[in-house]
Amino acid sequence: MMELPSTLTARDGTALDRNARGQYGDIIFGMIARLAGWSILLVMAGIVIVLVRGGWSAFSTFGPAFITSTAWNPISHNFGAATSIFGTLATTVVALAFAVPFAFGVAFWLVELAPATLARFIETAVQLLAAVPSIIFGMWGFFIVVPFMAHYVEPVLTHYLGHVPGIGLLFHGAPYGTGLLSGGLILAIMVTPFICSVMTDVFVSIPAVLKESAFGLGATRWEVMRKIVLPWSRQAVMGGIMLGTGRALGETMAVTFVIGNSNHLGWSLFAPGNTIASLIALEFPESAAGSLKLSALLALGAILMVISFITLACSRIFLRRGIPG
Amino acid sequence: MNKIIMDDSMVGNTAVSALAISNLDFWYGTNHALKNISLDFPLRQVTGMIGPSGCGKSTLLRVLNRMYDLYPGQRATGQVLFDGRNILSPGVDVNVLRSRIGMVFQKPTPFPMSIYDNIAFGVHLHERISRADLDQRVESVLRRVALWNEVKDRLNTSAAALSGGQQQRLCIARTIATRPEVILLDEPTSALDPISTARIEELLDELKQEFSIAIVTHNLQQAARCADRVAFFYMGELVEVDTADRMFTAPQAKRTQDYITGRFG
Repeated sequence: MMELPSTLTARDGTALDRNARGQYGDIIFGMIARLAGWSILLVMAGIVIVLVRGGWSAFSTFGPAFITSTAWNPISHNFGAATSIFGTLATTVVALAFAVPFAFGVAFWLVELAPATLARFIETAVQLLAAVPSIIFGMWGFFIVVPFMAHYVEPVLTHYLGHVPGIGLLFHGAPYGTGLLSGGLILAIMVTPFICSVMTDVFVSIPAVLKESAFGLGATRWEVMRKIVLPWSRQAVMGGIMLGTGRALGETMAVTFVIGNSNHLGWSLFAPGNTIASLIALEFPESAAGSLKLSALLALGAILMVISFITLACSRIFLRRGIPG
Repeated sequence: MNKIIMDDSMVGNTAVSALAISNLDFWYGTNHALKNISLDFPLRQVTGMIGPSGCGKSTLLRVLNRMYDLYPGQRATGQVLFDGRNILSPGVDVNVLRSRIGMVFQKPTPFPMSIYDNIAFGVHLHERISRADLDQRVESVLRRVALWNEVKDRLNTSAAALSGGQQQRLCIARTIATRPEVILLDEPTSALDPISTARIEELLDELKQEFSIAIVTHNLQQAARCADRVAFFYMGELVEVDTADRMFTAPQAKRTQDYITGRFG
């Protein structure tokens, strides 16, 4: 048995008064943190003010019709947002239609099926995909995807789906290669890594014992995924999808390369169109300061912000309802 | 050293075994976790498995329903006879196997869904069943685990709101709802208070009328109270198996004696 020392060294009776070190350190650190917090609001407010003020001339000239008008004519100074809003939403929907199942498949395979070493390798590749600059996707899309779509995919789709009532409308028209479908596809590849890495993270984080309980009842891997893991992680998965949606709505460079950049609104996914972001990117350098066109572009920017906010708000409301009791 | 002491009831009694293990070895990668295990689980009896942490008793349970299959690098050799087949053979459908050999875990693991759906989950996996039959099944298993009166008015509320003891009884109800022949319990009361523990132990006594039960426990009193037969594991070996009475009053092996008298573990 070890004996405790009979006398412990007493502390030197440090005074209990607040000392300068603690006081000023906390005050300075607190001020920096507060400044950082408030500056976020400041930046947000600044962006909104610039867009609304800059776009005011367009909003007041055209009124609410600015949103519903499909015109875009710099010669007659007649501008409308409908085509580019439609293009933005359409390419985003196409992108999610491809990206969500694709990302889910990758995440499911990585988490449940792939051998550990291979999974690590693929996971890194997914993250690298997220780091590829969008201009690279744009060039790749222009030189590879567009000709491929024009020569192989679109003629086949027209042949088989063009005459189906209803959805046939989506696959009509000349196979240019550029257009909403190509734009959506490029976007799908770009947003997949974001959705996929969120999905992978939440699928891994589910308690093993919960999964084992379901396996213990004789569930297959797919049944465990569908009935246990997905309901459990619904919130985070939706969050990941919204992250991808936000990226798809605002993505500019890659889309500009493959969308065709035509102020055209129609049902066909093959038809060239534009998005808010691609239109701004193309037209901005050609807009004179103080012109109505520049104002229309800033107004489009404001509309894009509003769409993004609505997307975020919808996801929040949807998620709050979706959480099981 | 490796000799297993058997009592008379075991020899020549294999015809009434629910599960019969012979010459089982198990590896986690290169770690030899179970060494040449041979053990019978008699039909409609409670077999308790005791031993210090890491002795392999929980590993053995995970072999019996092939749970180890989920993880790469884990493998078993030898034979586990169930319904006339070696369940370790690759041709066995593990999903069917797990519906016939159910498992209850150390911590209650209600699924994030309603009480009703927790039970319906396993039933739906294996049976096409009408709503009326399912209602009846849910009620009958909840009655069997003595949970019906406590939850009958809130079957459609989340199972997460139940107390720990209720959750564990729900997990047992969920397991018997798929009508297994064998139930494996991995320290089912170690996360519960004494009253909940007592209720689970009573339940085991009642369930063994119909099911064959294998229970891993750290609690020697629990093994003495609940089990008909007890197997003592030490460092991956099965040291001794005997009736609960003899195991705790007159153990044959020195290591068993040391363990049950608290000299180690």
